[in-house]
Amino acid sequence: MTAADLCYFEDLVVGEMHQTPAITVTQAHVTQFVGLTGDWPDQGGGDDAVVPGLLPLCISSGLGFRVPGPPLAVLAFMGFEWRFLEPVRIGDTILSRSTTLTKRAMREGGVVVEGRDVYNQRGEVTQSGRLTLLVAKRPAASA
Amino acid sequence: MRAHAILPAMTGDQRRHFEDIQVGEEYESPGRTVTEADIVIFAGLSGDYNVLHTDAEFMKSSIFGERIAHGLLGLSIQSGLLTRGMRPYATIAFLGLRWKFKGPIKIGDTIRVRAKVAGKKETGKPDRGIVTLFRQVLNQRGEVVQEGETDVMVARRP
Repeated sequence: MTAADLCYFEDLVVGEMHQTPAITVTQAHVTQFVGLTGDWPDQGGGDDAVVPGLLPLCISSGLGFRVPGPPLAVLAFMGFEWRFLEPVRIGDTILSRSTTLTKRAMREGGVVVEGRDVYNQRGEVTQSGRLTLLVAKRPAASA
Repeated sequence: MRAHAILPAMTGDQRRHFEDIQVGEEYESPGRTVTEADIVIFAGLSGDYNVLHTDAEFMKSSIFGERIAHGLLGLSIQSGLLTRGMRPYATIAFLGLRWKFKGPIKIGDTIRVRAKVAGKKETGKPDRGIVTLFRQVLNQRGEVVQEGETDVMVARRP
């Protein structure tokens, strides 16, 4: 892997927003997720079409990979806070928008706070939160 | 399987309601060994193919020395694990969480969840309330690899 393949701490611009492509959440996603995690959906007052809340969050991380451009050089996912605002149902099509809120350089890499909103096909924010990531600095040799 | 996991199905709705739940109650899940297959399936399901989780050669030179599980995989597994360590709540909605990833989960690690009711809060609606659980995910050495708080909306008895 070469330095050019990754987006480093120095490359991130505070306030810059990226929108991912969209994906339709299917019964197949739910079946795989429940089988993998044993996390049965228990929300939505018995509405079987409501998917486990953590599933759209997990999918939003993968959607980030499909934004054009080099992937972020993440050293570690440090933590996050997240709110589930509206249920996501089977058949809904979701996408996410991420914005770099703050960045703080450390000795090894830098701490980046990313704001992320997950939208459905009606433009409603279904889930929203802030993620804290440790991102690598550009290696000196390639600067 | 423990008796309390079987009995509720035979005796109707045994979900616990807001007024049944006491601050300070503790729960503990069984353990589960996180495998390479779990990570591969999660990468495919989520689309998160970050090298941290998928490139064994690249990770040899990382601070972890090998591939690690996605943080969100650990979070999702603990959610399922804890349902096996407690009677279900009469949950209306999962409201949110605050979560820290404190250490890596590596292939072959066995994790379990310890949880405690950290707080109960009334809401504007009299038929429900918010329960906050403090959860810790521990590995086979007893190290806390993830921890945080989850908020769920729970119904009162009808």
